[in-house]
Amino acid sequence: MKKALAIAVLLSATVHADVAQLRRYVTTLASERFGGRQTGTEGERLAREFIVSELKRIGAKPLPGQKDFALPFEFTAGTRDLGTTLSMAGKARALSFSDSGDVTGGVAFAGYGIVVPESQDFGYDSYATLDVKDKVVLVLRYFPEDADQKTRGILARYSDLRFKAMAARQRGAKAMLVVTGPKSPNAGELVPMTFDTALADSGIVAASIDGAAGNAIFAAAGKSIADVQQSLDSGNPHVAGFEIPTTVTVRAKVERERHTAYNIAGYLPATGRPIAEKPWLGLGAHYDHLGHGENGSSLASKEEAGRTHAGADDNASGDAAVLAVGGILAKQPRPRNVLLMFWSGEELGLLGSSAFLATPPLKIADLAAYLNFDMVGRMQDNKLSVQASGTSKSWDKLIEQANVKAGFNLSVQPDPYLPTDLRNFNTAGVPSLNFFTGSHADYHKPSDTADKIAYDDLDRIVEFAAAIARKIEDTPEPPVFAKVEPQTQQGASRAGGRVYTGTVPDYASDAKGLLLGGVVAGGPAEAAGLQKGDVIIEIAGQTIANIYDYTYALDVLKIGQPAKVVYMRGGERKDTMLTPGARK
Amino acid sequence: MQGLMRAAWLLLSVFLVGAAADDNHERDFLSRIRRLTVEGKRAGEGYWSPDGKRLVFQSEREPGNPFYQIYTLDLTTGESRRISPGLGKTTCAFFRPRSDEIEFASTHADPKSKQFQDDELAFRASGKERRYSWDYDPEMDIYAYSEKTGRLKQLTTVRGYDAEGSYSPDGQWIVFTSMRDAYNRPLSDAEKKQLETDPSYFAEIYIMKADGSGQRRLTSVAGYDGGPFFTHDGARIVWRRFDVTGVIADVWTMKPDGTDQRQVTSFGAMSWAPYEHPSGKYFIFASNKLGFDNFELYMVDVDGTKEPVRVTYSDGFDGLPVPSPDGTQLAWTSTRGGGSAGQLFLAQWNHQKALDAIASAPLKQTRK
Repeated sequence: MKKALAIAVLLSATVHADVAQLRRYVTTLASERFGGRQTGTEGERLAREFIVSELKRIGAKPLPGQKDFALPFEFTAGTRDLGTTLSMAGKARALSFSDSGDVTGGVAFAGYGIVVPESQDFGYDSYATLDVKDKVVLVLRYFPEDADQKTRGILARYSDLRFKAMAARQRGAKAMLVVTGPKSPNAGELVPMTFDTALADSGIVAASIDGAAGNAIFAAAGKSIADVQQSLDSGNPHVAGFEIPTTVTVRAKVERERHTAYNIAGYLPATGRPIAEKPWLGLGAHYDHLGHGENGSSLASKEEAGRTHAGADDNASGDAAVLAVGGILAKQPRPRNVLLMFWSGEELGLLGSSAFLATPPLKIADLAAYLNFDMVGRMQDNKLSVQASGTSKSWDKLIEQANVKAGFNLSVQPDPYLPTDLRNFNTAGVPSLNFFTGSHADYHKPSDTADKIAYDDLDRIVEFAAAIARKIEDTPEPPVFAKVEPQTQQGASRAGGRVYTGTVPDYASDAKGLLLGGVVAGGPAEAAGLQKGDVIIEIAGQTIANIYDYTYALDVLKIGQPAKVVYMRGGERKDTMLTPGARK
Repeated sequence: MQGLMRAAWLLLSVFLVGAAADDNHERDFLSRIRRLTVEGKRAGEGYWSPDGKRLVFQSEREPGNPFYQIYTLDLTTGESRRISPGLGKTTCAFFRPRSDEIEFASTHADPKSKQFQDDELAFRASGKERRYSWDYDPEMDIYAYSEKTGRLKQLTTVRGYDAEGSYSPDGQWIVFTSMRDAYNRPLSDAEKKQLETDPSYFAEIYIMKADGSGQRRLTSVAGYDGGPFFTHDGARIVWRRFDVTGVIADVWTMKPDGTDQRQVTSFGAMSWAPYEHPSGKYFIFASNKLGFDNFELYMVDVDGTKEPVRVTYSDGFDGLPVPSPDGTQLAWTSTRGGGSAGQLFLAQWNHQKALDAIASAPLKQTRK
């Protein structure tokens, strides 16, 4: 009895030690001092120092050929206006996607500057009777305020400033100025320069002007903004635009800030007689989060705005899991090297893992598998998602075997097209799994704090993942990668999108045009001969400068009607015909 | 997690936590629910080894064979092992107490087995889907597999579906289902037509010695009598009896010689797959009381004096419940993991709460 009791005490002591460790990892990373770990900030640096010290503690080393655990990559952190001016009374500020440059020209007022694609069977074109070639186009922000709900609903979809800028550019305008009408929210105010993560230029100078500047321009036509907006809103919404007999000069000065961020990578060298075939096993989790909610993906309420987004579940929990699984593997025989990776830039668009895979410090083909942990701290009712199981036929058996012991109420999902770093490893052809305990009310809010983490369950997930990792480690034949066809077009598809092209955009790219991360097998893009790496620059006569243009351009396409696609491949301009299908 | 696609994606992947309504009593009876099988298209009918350390189950999980084969699953290591031949269809395995044998039904001796597999694979490759159905293959016979020698012993030989076998607690008897009555006598025209549309109409309960000798018929009522198991004291057999329409089924018990047949439930639904809890106090079974496609687990006192008590609260299929030998766990087959195909699940079973719920259940209503 005594002996049994001693063993029981010993066992529970071990378990508690692990849980305490996990609690320390999460509590530290999610602490106020780390400031929400935004990519490229002091908080990221502090988090990195902590993770590196913990990596050293479990015996990890910098990757072969690397001095440091930290691997730098460059990213665009935001845009700044360096003093945009207008040759009129009043103020101007560049829009975040504006090109820099000086433009002088005659002015054309184009109403709300909205063009609804013909495919919508809803005729609305602010440029219908207006020639804006080489003009500076002035448009109102937002959409007609008094239109009925249905009309507003349609117009709202095409009133994004990027879409308005694209419409102006495509009609030959030199620049676009936007003013917020007196009847609209934020009347007369400049448009804030928002942090924008798809940072490519829009190919046109675009600036907002304040009410004073707007009035000065309209005065040249002998009109007032208020009257013009009134007639656009309440009368015939198709009121034609008009030229304004004046000339303006816009000097747009925009700086895109390039910053450096750091991934972290260390490894536990193989022990004994290493396995030669694919001698690496990868474990990873992103360690960046949303800072104080500076970028668009914070879901903080007004009351919480500006507070530190602790990111305990997203994704200090995943970092803790990687460190803890690493800690377990460090104490055991390892026929394969264990690569431990912590990504930055994930919340900005999987930037860190993209950078790592673009210039990998080791051969990606040498990775037997990659296990990703993103949000594993909020288990409810014993439910655990294991995702991307379709990336190898080996996974189901391994998961089943490990779970008989672990005892989770598993949801096993084959789809690897996930909004987390695993997505990039799947694209790179690495058999991968993602662990996920589900979303919750604190997702992307300051309230995602360390006290809400289910540490005992996190510990069970660590044991479960370690068992799967051990099996991969010990099996000489690595899992064979299986390609999962995307169920639907990902990402660029907006709610309400009707057209299916079978393209998979590469979100991490800020190349001019749309870089294809892949094409869906059997889809229209593949049938048109497009392939991964192509950069689409024009569809159906609309130039594509970036992913937003592309998304908007899709609305113009008609199902079943071939459209000309111009693209760059290996620096060469090519074109093809693509016949869009209907989205299912 | 990255923001880009979060809205749609989270909608798809969030667990249906909110589905648990206030009147959901599943947690009263089942805790620490866990999914046991992952590999393959479907798995089900998990029956416990007498020591409670393993399950034997059927699963469709090997390329080349689109039908069930029989596997054992070690609950300590998670290792699974196929014990059936791999060829043809199999079903309904059961550990023989005090022995190294496992019985199951198989069609592997049928020379057409391979052809059937290829036909089914070709059908699936064509992209068509059919509703899952069980075809009562007349070549299905019962075998006993020895884990020591790896040898198979054929226990039934006559034409007609022989399956759904299970051992008596002393390991000396097998009670099973057979449709041999449709083949061993001249059928009327109406019966011939019946055989074409629904052969299960001819299914009756039989008993034999564990070596296959002394086969004897226990039931002779029109409609599908099937799924028989001994009670834990070996004194009775519990099974399900369908009416002639094949729509309504209820739980019945009888003595192992076929006498004293008693109806336990009158639930007015398809109530089937009854299995006794080792306490001998109640049966757990599956019923589509709440809708044609929505099978839930229920329990009822062994004498059927009370209305059945609902156990599971999950859309889709919950069925084939089997309590562990010590009565503390429940294995069952469920589609709660997603999709239309079942997998094996396991949970802690709260016996005391089950007893309490049955005690406070209303008396059985009389239904027509």
